[in-house]
Amino acid sequence: MSTNLRRHWMLQGIASIGECGLFFVAVLGAVPKSLRYWRELARQIWFVGAMSLVIVMTCGLFVGMVLALQLYYTLSIFGGTAALGTVVALSLFRELGPVVTALLVAGRAGTAVTAEIGLMRATDQLDAMSMMAVDPLAYVASPRFLAGLVAMPLLACVFNAMGIFGGHLVGVSWLGLDNGTFWGNMTSTVDLHKDVLDGLYKSVVFGGVVSLIAVFQGYTAPPTSEGVAYSTTRTVVFSSIVILAVDFVMTAFMT
Amino acid sequence: MTVASDHQPVPGDALVQVRGLRTQIGAKAIFDGLDLDVPRGSVTAIMGPSGTGKTTLLKHMTGQLRPDAGSVRVDGEDVARLSRRALFGLRERIGFLFQNSALLTDFNVFENVAFPLRQHANLPEELLRDIVLTKLQAVGLRGAAALMPSELSGGMARRVALARAIVFDPMLILYDEPFVGLDPIALNQVLRLIRTLNKTLGITSILVAHELAAIRRVADRVYLIANGRLVAQGAPDELEHQDSPWTRQFFGGEADGPVPFHYPAPDYATELGFAGARR
Repeated sequence: MSTNLRRHWMLQGIASIGECGLFFVAVLGAVPKSLRYWRELARQIWFVGAMSLVIVMTCGLFVGMVLALQLYYTLSIFGGTAALGTVVALSLFRELGPVVTALLVAGRAGTAVTAEIGLMRATDQLDAMSMMAVDPLAYVASPRFLAGLVAMPLLACVFNAMGIFGGHLVGVSWLGLDNGTFWGNMTSTVDLHKDVLDGLYKSVVFGGVVSLIAVFQGYTAPPTSEGVAYSTTRTVVFSSIVILAVDFVMTAFMT
Repeated sequence: MTVASDHQPVPGDALVQVRGLRTQIGAKAIFDGLDLDVPRGSVTAIMGPSGTGKTTLLKHMTGQLRPDAGSVRVDGEDVARLSRRALFGLRERIGFLFQNSALLTDFNVFENVAFPLRQHANLPEELLRDIVLTKLQAVGLRGAAALMPSELSGGMARRVALARAIVFDPMLILYDEPFVGLDPIALNQVLRLIRTLNKTLGITSILVAHELAAIRRVADRVYLIANGRLVAQGAPDELEHQDSPWTRQFFGGEADGPVPFHYPAPDYATELGFAGARR
């Protein structure tokens, strides 16, 4: 890759980040007006939250089951299988719950939001709203952004609950660990503030990040079928990278 | 149901006044000092060859585009200088019919037409329903109120979009290609509707269209735009008989004239590889 091309890509990347930042400010500015459209907000929370429940619950269950299997094997080497419940819960609350939920929501709801807004742009629906003196930022962008903020921590809670249930199924029902030991160790070790709430804070941030990227990509999608397709892909790619990067930064500050 | 404004009166009672409009999009100069007035209460048609900037002119009138120079005043207000809030206030008094209808695909026909009313007028549901059904009846689609946009033909979608554009009884309606896809029956009704709105409510209408027969029936005045400027204007019948190369070519549909039929391109024979054979 030539130096000029590299510089061009870098400048384009920086310009996009700047554009996304300005868009974020505009979306935040439109939030008070968007509360007028509470029906639309409720519809979006339903779409991002309730419609993602099946995938989040299923994945949560399997992640918890796999986690329990892997950890049981590792802990048995050191004779520490009694700590299985604690380690499963800590892994889920602190890391896997928020991160995997965010990745799932980016793939399911984020892409749908980008495609929907991109098609609205391509078919002049956003311009039509604007011509009817309805601010598309307040009617379309802000409700979807807020829906991500609200739905993500709730989905992470569901994911965590299903994960622990999966861990219990494998650890207690299948591998024969004592039920009291599983729950007792977990409840005595897991801290509400340090573990549970920190994970939820992460979820809120991830919800904002995924929604912002999805809405921004849709809003700025070129009005062609190829443009919408690329923007949808970018939502998944950028969301995944940003979620993991932000997770690292937040974990570094929280521990 | 128009919103009152504290506008300044426009000289000559022109609702829309375009002065010295210059617009460049990319490398192409769309307007090069365009001047025109649209009288209040008239039906005005804007015509011209494809790609001459007719839709762009409508976008200037609604503040979707800002001019590089010159001004577009609507109801006394310089559109490009309006704040976002004031611009939205102006847009509440303008109806816009999009070229591709631009119906909201999540809503059915009824809700599409009701959308502007729900957003800006706090009306009782019964009254809102009556207004929407009246407008749908006017475009012949009252029976289609429950259909989704995906279930409509192109012509039906256009009529729904028309009902939505007039639902607020605006002071100005901008129609971008309103006759495309309409069958003769629907066309006749739409022409009548435009004229009725103009006569009964005094609504000013600006049409961008290519259908000469329809324009002759509905428009009071025609502006012919080409090469970024106004090249002819007058009543439809007058304009057809004007002895100017622009009107002769445009209304006669001739390939030869001031408006090139072909987009600028290198020599045809050269591009086909026959250049050597010519020498």
